[in-house]
Amino acid sequence: MSTVTATAAAVHPTVARPAVGARPSFLGILRGEWRKLLSLRSTWWVLGATVVLITGISLAVAASVDAMAADPVTAPTLATTNGAEFVSGGFQIGMLTIAVLGALLITGEYSTGMIRSTFAAVPTRVPVLLAKAIALSVLTGAVAALSIALSYLVTMPQLAEHDLVPALDDARTWQVFGGTVYFLIAAALFSLGVGTLLRSSAGAITVALTVLLLLPGVLAFVSLDWVETIARYLPLPASGAFLGGSEDSLSSGGEQLTAATGLLVIAAYAIVPLLAGAVVLRRRDA
Amino acid sequence: MIEAHQLTKRYGDTTAVDDISFTIEPGSVTGFLGPNGAGKSTTMRMIMGLDRPTSGTVTVNGKAYARHRAPLREVGALLDAKAVHTGRSARSHLRTMAATHNIPAARVDEVIEMTGLATVARKRVGGFSLGMGQRLGIASAMLGDPRTLILDEPVNGLDPEGVQWVRRLVRSLADEGRTVFLSSHLMSEMAQTADQLLVIGRGRIIAAGPVQQVIDSVSAAAVRVRSPRATELAALLEADGAAVTSSAPSALELRGIDAERVGELACAHGIALHELSPRSASLEEAYMALTQDAVEYRSDVTATAPTAPKGEDR
Repeated sequence: MSTVTATAAAVHPTVARPAVGARPSFLGILRGEWRKLLSLRSTWWVLGATVVLITGISLAVAASVDAMAADPVTAPTLATTNGAEFVSGGFQIGMLTIAVLGALLITGEYSTGMIRSTFAAVPTRVPVLLAKAIALSVLTGAVAALSIALSYLVTMPQLAEHDLVPALDDARTWQVFGGTVYFLIAAALFSLGVGTLLRSSAGAITVALTVLLLLPGVLAFVSLDWVETIARYLPLPASGAFLGGSEDSLSSGGEQLTAATGLLVIAAYAIVPLLAGAVVLRRRDA
Repeated sequence: MIEAHQLTKRYGDTTAVDDISFTIEPGSVTGFLGPNGAGKSTTMRMIMGLDRPTSGTVTVNGKAYARHRAPLREVGALLDAKAVHTGRSARSHLRTMAATHNIPAARVDEVIEMTGLATVARKRVGGFSLGMGQRLGIASAMLGDPRTLILDEPVNGLDPEGVQWVRRLVRSLADEGRTVFLSSHLMSEMAQTADQLLVIGRGRIIAAGPVQQVIDSVSAAAVRVRSPRATELAALLEADGAAVTSSAPSALELRGIDAERVGELACAHGIALHELSPRSASLEEAYMALTQDAVEYRSDVTATAPTAPKGEDR
């Protein structure tokens, strides 16, 4: 059989081969994933919706400042609140759309069969997941920053009336803005990890939104100590530790985590499902 | 070159591929023939490292697929015309694939031209016909200009002109010294396209070899004789080198002898014949003969499946 190979190669030594020299590299895989993300119409819809929702909600929150100032119960809290919390007030809704984007990034490949093309090109598989995570983080970060910038501009007139426009030289302002971007990236990565584990769009979106949004609300009605402890470590309450979010700590009934613990908890939500996803990705049939 | 050694794949209780070994040589078109569900696609997915074999190994050009430094340049595969995100344009799809291997955009345009997709390259794949999907699948397979091509049912859904095009394409690729491995459940298609055949049924290799040889091995049989003195005749024919089997007391099935010779022998010995029928099996008959057991057994399993307490095994 080796003779057959040899003769075949000898007879046709020079086929025009423009792809010769092409080699895979992580940068190439990353470019591929970036292109994948941007070449889907659904990405642009989700991102557009994210910007509109975050900005719109922040505008609504800012509009309610008048009422808060007039109410003797809420007026004192207003004095201690950094205006940045109003500006980023729409992030919870943004979290929903971003979570959908993160899940679809991988489940969309499973549902369409694209995953087989993807893994044929990168049979080691894990670099694909890493590239997806990076591309998703960059895009989410950019959209979150854009949303906050827009929110800052549209809420400015309203907040100015109550002297609540967040000062850009205040560290607290940047903690809230940075924390919001950080949290949205984490929510996207959490969904990507869950999507990798579950492979189904419906399943992944349901699980992600339940953990991110639904559980804190549901568990708030259970006044068992250990449930309250768990509730504190759910993503949204944990984010309150570095975003301010005074309502969240009130609803869960206990003391808030420290800002550092909150950041770590959120990081765990982003990383653990992704690591688990990477492990099963290598073993499973595609 | 593709080499499989005792390759096996089980899904739970079902054995999709059962201990198969084969070698696919470069420079020729090898057809992978078998009924639907025989294990063709599973075997191809294992070659591509997409499904993990339960046991056994398969290598492409000496290495497991995943161990090649530039897999797309080593092997191009059309595993499933729908292995494409429906929301992306054909060109975007190819460019995302090309990006992983740093394949220049010029090559993407080249395979688009080559597969006749130029007019629809910017349209979303979701709206593609089955034939367009196949062309896109072949375009992605060609992207890395690979030494080995694996095409699962490439002519499925193509119009006659497309079928011709695929035949010419695989022929020229094989003539360039590449390994071409393509599957089909249609014997007639294989007879026109392939040089070598690998016939699979129920997860096992039933026959392998040059196309004509495989056909002959099945259809050469084909002389049927009925005679009141069948036993006597059988002895005569066996002495003449024929392989004789008997399905009924007065009937014989003969291999390795033609009808004329049987008639002359019978006449020379004064044996009356009630029937002498040469049976030159067609390609389709040869295929049916090869795969019949596999198909029958499979329908059997389906029929008895409800009585088997499958759920308890898990």
